[in-house]
Amino acid sequence: MIRKKILLIGDFGVGKSSLIRRYIDNEFSDKYKTTIGVKISKKYLKIEGIKCELLIWDIEGATVIKKIPQSYFKGASGAIFVCDISREETKNNLLEHINNFLHINKSAQYVVAYNKIDLLSEKEQKAFSSKLANNEFAVSAKIDWNVSNLFETLSKKMLS
Amino acid sequence: MRTVQIVLNSILSKNIFEYILVDKNLHILEYSQGIKRYLEMTPKIGSDILEYIPEFIGNEDEIKKIFIQKYCLFTLETIQKNDYYINISIEYCDSQTAIVLLHNVTSITIHQQNLLQYSNESTLLYNTLNKVINNQNSMVFVANINKIEFANQQFLNYFNIPDLQTLTKDTIKIYKYIDSSIEDYTHLYELFQDKEQDIKIGNDTFIITASKIETTHHLFTLTNVSHISNKLNRDPLTGIYRKSYLNTIMQDKIKQRQLFSLIVLDLDDFKKVNDTYGHIVGDAVLKQFVQLIEQNIDKNDCFARWGGEEFLLLFLSTDVRYLQDKLENLRKQIEEYKFDIASHITCSFGATCSTYDDEEIDTILYRADKALYEAKKAGKNKIIFKIN
Repeated sequence: MIRKKILLIGDFGVGKSSLIRRYIDNEFSDKYKTTIGVKISKKYLKIEGIKCELLIWDIEGATVIKKIPQSYFKGASGAIFVCDISREETKNNLLEHINNFLHINKSAQYVVAYNKIDLLSEKEQKAFSSKLANNEFAVSAKIDWNVSNLFETLSKKMLS
Repeated sequence: MRTVQIVLNSILSKNIFEYILVDKNLHILEYSQGIKRYLEMTPKIGSDILEYIPEFIGNEDEIKKIFIQKYCLFTLETIQKNDYYINISIEYCDSQTAIVLLHNVTSITIHQQNLLQYSNESTLLYNTLNKVINNQNSMVFVANINKIEFANQQFLNYFNIPDLQTLTKDTIKIYKYIDSSIEDYTHLYELFQDKEQDIKIGNDTFIITASKIETTHHLFTLTNVSHISNKLNRDPLTGIYRKSYLNTIMQDKIKQRQLFSLIVLDLDDFKKVNDTYGHIVGDAVLKQFVQLIEQNIDKNDCFARWGGEEFLLLFLSTDVRYLQDKLENLRKQIEEYKFDIASHITCSFGATCSTYDDEEIDTILYRADKALYEAKKAGKNKIIFKIN
């Protein structure tokens, strides 16, 4: 079985832990609980006949005064960069996170998750989604929108 | 050796440290019993440590360096395992063995997490409040006696200040824009506390409010009402000021003991224009008359419609010779101008200058009006000065 390490990276409060919780346990809580340090969750997948164990690293979100320790990035095959669609600054910080990650893992794959899409109206969601690139996803951990697709697309990219 | 064993047992019994011994291939050789609470399953001797501590995955090469470089240490901090937070480090034991130490930091990490949670929630709230304040139509600022401590984006934009840091570094005296006699922000607060009042900053009109938010700090809001004020102050037909606006300017000048001159202008025989050509032509004449005057006065001069065909001009100069030349030029321009349909029309001027004895607008207005009456009586198309 192939084992792959992936990370969820983004500012604090964008919903990284919620996306993992939705994907692993199919649960969601509205209550915000800050992640400190790192927590690993496992998910077994079969992608196009290949069995794979995903080690999903939920790491503490970045704040203005505390950046993500780059030691966490080592050995990762992929990353999901998460931002909160309702907080412009979390979108603006994505590029910095991507650069930091690719600096350590030059050949790693990545996707971008625009979380909390449920906060937009149906019309706004359509307009927003139509502008996204192939590796960008409008998602919602709260209403379980596109979450599995997000993780599985990254897994396919890593295994291809 | 016995002492070491006692110390080690003591540490292990406190549930602070647990250990796993691994060989060069990172296979488990031995472990302390307390380790089980951190792992999903009981470790098997001889199995790969990565099965139990997947946090090491991706760092295998770096870990194996420990066996070559004896003093090399590999550490991962604040790892959540089950309900515990642990720091994991792996270090050299002997040429065939390395020790993985699992340091229980749950208690201190939970305290850190509570602080981080509070800090993150505060940041979110701060960012939201900032967005709310920056999206106000009004300028908002907080000041102590002589320094602005906070201002919203509208404020920074209006006063052309690049950012909040620049603002708080400098001692910007906004109150001086409002009234040069105001001494500091406390004085500004005392003048405007608990009431809404119009103030002028440059050409803009603002409603100012001031309230106390701390013993030492005051909150000020400045709402730009220039567009409303313009609508209220402007004559709808000609677009120039109404007399009421000119009154406030004259009142301010009297209060500030600044001298000025006031001229009443009246189009001669304008009733005939209305009677002969109708009000549409009459209105067009008034508009053309206003344009003609505006083209021949300066930016600082103030031109207003009193009503009907009567107008007012306010000049900041009280130099009679200068005024006479200026008004004569206006009189000639009007006389020579060919108005649509109505053709040639003339205008009479009654002029006066304010004095330091003038306390009422009406006194000045009365003198100018009396001068106008004399200009009419003298045959119209004349300029008469009445100096007190």
